[in-house]
Parts: sequence; structure tokens; C-alpha cells
Amino acid sequence: MPRRRIYNPLTELLAAALLVVLVLVVNRWEFSFAVLVLVVLPAVLLSGRIRQISLAILLVAGPLLLSSLLLHGLFYPEGRVILLDFGVARVTQEGLSFAAVMGLRMGVFTGVLLTVAMTLDIPDLLATMTHRRWNRKLVFILGSAVGILPHVALRARQITRAQQARGLVVGREPISRFRALLTVTTPLVIGLLVDASERNHMLQARGFSSSVPRTSYLPDTDTPRQRWARRGMAVAVGAFSVLWLGAGVLP
Amino acid sequence: MIRLESESFAYDDGVPLLTGVSLAVQPGEYVVIAGASGSGKTTLARLLAGLVGADAGSTFRGSITLDGQAVRFRGLPTDPRIDPAAWSAAVAFVAQGAWAQLSMMSATVGEEIAFGPSNRGMAPERLRAAVDDVAAALKLTSLLDRDPRRLSGGQLQRTIIAAAVVQRPRILVLDEPFQGLDEGATADVAAALDALREGGTGVVVCEPMLPRSAPDMARVLALHDGHPVFDGLLVEARGAGLRRYGIGVAGDPPMPGTGAALGGSGDDAGYSGAPPGPTGFPSPGPERIAMTDVCFRHPEDRRTAGAPGDAPAPPGLSGVSLSVRAGEILAVRGANGSGKSTLLQHLNGLHRADSGTVVVGGVPILNQPTGTLATAVGYLFQDTDQQLFERTVLREVSYGPRAGGRPRVEALRRASDALETVGLGPAGEAHPYELGFVQRRLVALASIIATGPAVWALDEPTAGLDEPARTKLAALLALHARGGGAVVMATHDATFAEAVAHRTIWLEGGRIRPAPPAHGR
Amino acid sequence: MSSPLTLAPGHSSERPRRMLLVLGGALILATYLFLVTVQPTEIAGGVGSTASLVSLFGFLGGGALLVGGILPMLTTSSLVVMPLGIALNIAIGQIAGSLGMQIYLDAIGTVLVAVLAGPAAGAATGALSNAIWGLFNPFALPFAAGAALIGLLAGLAAKHGAFRRVYLAPVAGLVVGAIGGLVAAPVAVFMFGAAGTFGTNAIIAVFRSMGDKLLVAATKQGLLSDSLDKIVVFVIVALIVYALPQRAVRQFPFARTYRVLGNRSGRRAPQPTSGIGTPAA
Repeated sequence: MPRRRIYNPLTELLAAALLVVLVLVVNRWEFSFAVLVLVVLPAVLLSGRIRQISLAILLVAGPLLLSSLLLHGLFYPEGRVILLDFGVARVTQEGLSFAAVMGLRMGVFTGVLLTVAMTLDIPDLLATMTHRRWNRKLVFILGSAVGILPHVALRARQITRAQQARGLVVGREPISRFRALLTVTTPLVIGLLVDASERNHMLQARGFSSSVPRTSYLPDTDTPRQRWARRGMAVAVGAFSVLWLGAGVLP
Repeated sequence: MIRLESESFAYDDGVPLLTGVSLAVQPGEYVVIAGASGSGKTTLARLLAGLVGADAGSTFRGSITLDGQAVRFRGLPTDPRIDPAAWSAAVAFVAQGAWAQLSMMSATVGEEIAFGPSNRGMAPERLRAAVDDVAAALKLTSLLDRDPRRLSGGQLQRTIIAAAVVQRPRILVLDEPFQGLDEGATADVAAALDALREGGTGVVVCEPMLPRSAPDMARVLALHDGHPVFDGLLVEARGAGLRRYGIGVAGDPPMPGTGAALGGSGDDAGYSGAPPGPTGFPSPGPERIAMTDVCFRHPEDRRTAGAPGDAPAPPGLSGVSLSVRAGEILAVRGANGSGKSTLLQHLNGLHRADSGTVVVGGVPILNQPTGTLATAVGYLFQDTDQQLFERTVLREVSYGPRAGGRPRVEALRRASDALETVGLGPAGEAHPYELGFVQRRLVALASIIATGPAVWALDEPTAGLDEPARTKLAALLALHARGGGAVVMATHDATFAEAVAHRTIWLEGGRIRPAPPAHGR
Repeated sequence: MSSPLTLAPGHSSERPRRMLLVLGGALILATYLFLVTVQPTEIAGGVGSTASLVSLFGFLGGGALLVGGILPMLTTSSLVVMPLGIALNIAIGQIAGSLGMQIYLDAIGTVLVAVLAGPAAGAATGALSNAIWGLFNPFALPFAAGAALIGLLAGLAAKHGAFRRVYLAPVAGLVVGAIGGLVAAPVAVFMFGAAGTFGTNAIIAVFRSMGDKLLVAATKQGLLSDSLDKIVVFVIVALIVYALPQRAVRQFPFARTYRVLGNRSGRRAPQPTSGIGTPAA
């Protein structure tokens, strides 16, 4: 059950993006850690989808963090302080701290963006983009791609079943897997393209090429105040970045 | 009103079709364009919709007159090009395959209906009013907040119609709008069309067969091989002997007497009224299928996935026992969502029973990969197009025997024999997708025949077939049974089941019912 | 003789916004050059924050400019396949990623769109698909410019005949993959410290153990993995498009005009054979 929405999706997306920029600008593990604990954690807890979001974060970031730790923890030729030496591989203090900085950064990225994405109300986002007169082609591509994704996955499953029913057995060897991939993707792509050709006629018949501004069936959930807030946030982060980086460059 | 005069139409290299066809549609009229597969009815419908296909390499010569305004085509590059947006405001078109006509960017039925007008910049208040009006007319008001990708077939079809007519066109053209719908959904869609007609919209419907029920004074234009063979009232068309052009009447049995001929005896024993069990069957052979007390529940994830066309969660099976012997044809009937497909998919391992046993051809279905069972059970899916992937029909049909371990040469030989059997011999080098719907269905059947399994499991085998293909199918089933095979088919087609099957079982909520529900025969 | 039901002759789609295209391309190129030549004090003091910011804004912003320039010139026939390309990228890429493979297979949709609808549609598909995928997997986001480049190059390769013969496809894949790998490496290094799947990281580890700098190691890995990946992707796409029915190919003006699939590209409409109806000159 998604939480009750307070802000417009566009505002939330922008806030997440700016947070990512801030983490990159400040570039200190203390700040990344603070964002993780003070922003991401409460956001996940309040999202109403704690389980799904934490699972997603774990699935996306987990392997990356682990492989990054192995890579830099064991192979960091620039490292001076050697903690353990296995011959080819050496565990160095610098390597570990590099892995930690990068790991925290990736953790924040994943946490911030996934939390926003998984609570994002896509129809609302598309409606807002339409009301704000974004390019209708862009809105169509975004909306249609997100809308068609589950359909593609489902269709791929059904095709796999259909091919099994007529004798497809997937073996372990790469060649067999490659063939299996083809036997499933080919009808998938053909079916989708045949649909697309019909959808092309449909779009033309429904006046998609019209040049007047598109309207939306859904109400506008955006407010003038939020529009100002978005501009304000962007300007503030921009100014802060300039100052911070300027101060870093100057002695 | 619209008037089409076609001198000729040709796909890029094809023979000219629709020579000397003329059709006029008046407000409030109901016109059926009837014809077997390949008769040119879809082409005609698309011409009415303004899709003359010049950009796809087709040549059309003739004229289309819409409200006194004539557009002439001479089949030349300098021909006028129809503005699809302007045309569709007067003539709406609903093509085959509802999925392709969803924008896929609407999360609710309301948004989908509003897609056209909102592209044209209709103000939000008027937009809502327009959507509410059309939804009320088509009885979609309660569905306005539903996800269009998760509707049942009939609901989806009505949504597409609503999205097409929200611009208040004077003519609505539909290409086989009832294909794959069960009785209830068909009635709903027909009622929606009636409502539009009462509002003055002229309705043109393409059908492979003459409809059993249609509005009074419905007109029929029958086509055969791209030429008109009948033009008149529906009541007259039924008696005009159109069967010789491959145009039957929906709901008629495939071939008189087929059912009796199967068992070699003329009595009623094989018909659906007979009690279940091999008693009704003339000469019991060895048992091909044995299901004992099978229970099955769909895993959670598949319940929530919105499969095209079947919105309600499919029921499982509970306590299903079944025996089918060699030489027997069994029909499985029941409403949509009663578990027919689920039962069929237990026969080839696509579903595995939670409890109970399934034995096919003496081999119990346990953990073996589904693919290895393809030589024992041939499965015809409701949606054929999910399984076609080769670039020629011949390669397509030879995939089954090759996957079953036969050498290439033998597989190709079996494939061309099977194509000959279903009557598609000359189409071997064509691309499966360049054939019509009916032929693609026959290609899928030919793949089963080429693979050579003793058991056939067919899911709605007659859906969307024309009269010749339906009769052909009946004959092939009989032939397979006489050769010691067994057939299990899930079907809504009552007359087909009665004519062809030796025995019928009824499913309801995943259980076998001893007798048909009250409205059955 | 114009009527409200027909289109005026010679009607064509809007022109691309060349300014945006040039700016976007220049921004991406400048970003890349900055990252590899200036090579911020990469390793000694951790990763400079300027470098990651530059790669984020340069590549993402460049990608956005490109998309903005391309959108007006897309016809509806290109438009309807782009969502399919994006969905295929994500669906197949997600599977490959979760299997920890050494290759990504996340460009099948991009290359498919590029082959059928042209370089512009391909580039936009690549960029947008990484932007959308970024919603589910933030690590895809900064690679948007690289993905756009892949789409662009694949479309150009198709235009010049790389898909007319099945043996040309892997060659084109090798070249496109190598370029793509070069571009992607700095993003991976400066944004994420070259974190990837276990497969790709194992390759980096080998180079690192030989004493390579992280950027060098990641570039070498990129060259290896991306070339291999694109060879496989191009071959898969070639086999798929050869299996397409003519009807499906014919709907794309790009594929028809440039005979992208050679003799398979849907025959051109033969001229009407009637000698009678010939208009007077």
C-alpha cells in the first residue's frame, strides 16, 4: 500500500536528483553516511513499502558493494599501508577506505533513487509533464515504455512456455542457451513489431501528430508553490556547489 | 455516410483484389462484410478506414466518398494522402488484436478513452464529459478506473471501441470484433454496437461467418477471393448458399453427420448428453490419459500478472479425475475462467499437479522438462502467434520433429507431409506472419501433426476459424482419433463439440460437473 | 485541390534541432576528453568530486540535449517502436545482470530500433532507456550518453550495410563495442569506482593485479566486455531481423530506403503496371 502522497512526483524526482548531486559535490563519507541515515532511512520507513524497497535496494546495491569491496580491498596497487599480503592480492588500508567511500556513495544513490522510483506515481508524473507542456513524444515514450515493460516480461514467459510445449529444452551449454534466447526473443519481437505497426495507425488516427498542446484527463496535482520550490531547490544546490567547489579549489 | 468504389487493390506484388466492389453505409445501418480467410474483407475494412496503404507499397484504384466529398485514387505516387486524424473523426476503425490499439501509456480506462481528444487538445472539463458520455453508452462507467491492461476480452474490446468513438464518428468499422470472446462478452459488445447505432452511427463488421444473431435489416456483403459474391439482407444471405464460398453460419455444426461418422455408428451415443466414461465410446482402446484426483493452485505471482484477455485470477483444479482412451475425442467445456486451460496444461507438463497423478501415454508426468513431453502431447495454444518464430512455414513446422530428435531430412519430409494434410502445401516457403490468422492456426496444427504425438490438447481450436478451416479441423480430429490418437479440446463452440467429440465434460470453478449447466443443450 | 480529409503534398516531419544535436555531441566529447586527459588526481586522494560531477552532468546533460534535438524529427512509426526497444533493453539487461554474466546484453532493443528506424531513433532509445532503467537501477543512469552513442553507431552501421550480410554484423559489433567501452569506462570509474557485476570486476581485478591504474584497467575491461557484448548483441539482432516478416520491416522508411537488410528489406513498391492510366506529362 503506497503512502499518501504529499508532493508532486516531479518535485520528488528533482529532490532525489539534487541529493545525489550534493553527495557528489561534498564527497565526504561523513556526509554520505548522514544522508543515508537521516534521509534515506526515514524515507524508506515512511514509504509504506518497507519490505519491497529494502529488498530492491539489497538486490541492486548488494552485489555491487560486495564486488567493489573485493576488487578494491584485494587489488589496489597504489595502496601503501598493507594489512594482509596474499602475493598477487594485497589488502591495503587505502583500498579499503576507497571501497568504503565508493560503497557509501553507491548506497546513497541506490537508496535515494529507488525509494523515489518505487513510490513514484507514474500516471501522476505523466499527467504533470503533460500539464507542464513537456514534449508529447517524450511523454509517450516514457509512459509507453514503463507501461509495456510488464507486458513484455509476461509475454516472454508465455512464449517460453509455448516453445517448451513444442519441444524446447534449455541445456547448460552456452550454445543451447543462445538458441533458447533466440527462440524466445524472435516471436517476442515479431509480435511486438506487428502490434507496433497497428499502434502506429492508432496514434495517427487519434490525432497524435496534432500540434496543439496536449491536455490530460487526470487533474493537475502540481501547485505554483511547488513549481517555485523546485526552481528554488535547483538554484540553491547550484549555488552551494559553486561555493563549495570554489572553496575547495582555493587554498 | 460513406461510399467506397473499388476498381482494384493490390499488395505490392499480389494479384488485384476487390475488383468492382462497391459499398455504401448509411447512418444507423449495420453491415456485415463476410468472407473466409483471404477473401479481402480486412482490406476492404481498412480502405473504409482510410488506410489505403500507399506508404506500405499497396496500390489502390477507386474512390471513397465521405459526406459528399470524394477522394480519388489512381494507384499513382501523386495520389492524395488521407489525413488519418481528420478521417478518423468521421470514420472510426477498430482493427483485430485489441492489445495493439492500446496506447500502453494509460493507467486507467478513462485515460485510454480520453487519449484521442487529449491529443487534439480538448479542454479538461469537456474531456471528462465526453469520456463519461461514451462510457455510459457502452456500459463502461464502472470500469473507468480500472487498468486497461488487466481487463477481460469483452471489456477490453469495449474500451477500444469507446476510445475509437469518443470523437463521435458517423461510421464505425470493426475487423472481427467478436474473435475469441465467449457468449457473454459477445453479447456485451453487440449491445455496445446497438447503442452506438441507435445514436445514428453506421456500423460495419467483418466476420468470417454469417452471424447467428444480428440487428434487423442487417445487410451482408459477402466476399470470395477478393470478389463480391452476395450483397443483400442477412436473412436472404442465410439461404443464398454461401457455403460454397466458404462462408458458413456461425453456430452451425461443421459438417452434417461428422459426429456419427466418427464412431462408425449412427446413434447418439457419442454426443454430449452421454454420461462420462468410456461406455459411450464404441471401441475402447488403451488408455492414453489418466488424471487421478488432481489438485492444483496457481502460484501467487501468476495470479497478479495481468495476462492479456483473462483478467480474473485463473482458478486451480480440485479433485479432477479423467481418463481418455485411444480413439477418443473429449470436449472440455465451461465458462471463461472455469479452469479449462489449466486442465489442458497439466497434460503436457506446463502445469504440475500439487497432488494427484497425471499419466500420459503410460508415462507419469513428474519432474521431466516440459520440452521432453512434446513428442507425447501436442498442444495448440489459444494464441498461436506466441509460438511461431521461424522465417518460413516449412522450417516452422519442422521445428517440432527436429526438437524431438529426428534427423533434418526426415523432419522436413514430415513437415511438408503435415502441411499437405492441413491444406497448406503451397505455402511452405511463405513467412508464417504473412499468412492470415486462420492459416497461422493451421500452421500450428501442422507442427503438432509433424511432431506426431498420440495425444492432442487443443485450447479453443475453432476460435476465429472460417467455415473451410473449421470443417478441415473436424476431419483432422476424426482422422487422428481413428488412427489411435486421443484428443482433448477446451472449447466454447457447442455445435463443434457436439458434432466432433465423443464425450463432453463440464468444468466449473476447477471441478468436474457431471451434467451441463441448465442453459446447455 | 486540397480537402480537409487529405494532407497537403510534400508534407514532411519537422527538421531536427541541429543546434541541440551539435551542443549535445560537443558536450559529451568535451566531457570525455576532460576525463581522460586532465585525469583528475584520480587515485591518490580518492576520487575528485569534480570528476564525478563532470561525468554526471556532461554525459547526462549531453544525452538530454541529444534527445531534445532528435525528438522533433521522429515519425510515429519510429515512435511506436522506441518503447519496445526500451522495454527489451531493460527486460533482457536485468536478466543478464542478475545472472552475473561478463556481458550486459542491455542493448538488444537499442540496436534493434537503430537497425529498423535509423541512427537518430537508436540514439534516443539508448539514452532514454538508460534514463528509465535508472529508476529501477540507478547504476544505469550515467551510462545514458554511452548508450546513445551505441544506438547512433548501430544505426550508421546499418545504414552502410552492416546488416546486409550475417558475417558483417559481428564486425560492426566489435567496432561499436570498442568505442562504447572507451566511453563507458570513465563513467564507471568516476561515478562508482568501477563497480560492476562480479564478472566484469573479476576482469578489472586481473588488470589491477598487474599494476594498472583503475581508469586504465576499467578501460581495458570495457574494451573487452563491451566488444564481446556488442558482438553477441549485433548477431542476435541480425538473426532476429532476418526472421522478421517483410510486412514488419516494410513499415520503417529507414529500413526500406537504405535497404538495411539487403534483399530482405521489403521490396520497393513496383510501379503501377497500367499503361492506360499514365497521366499526361
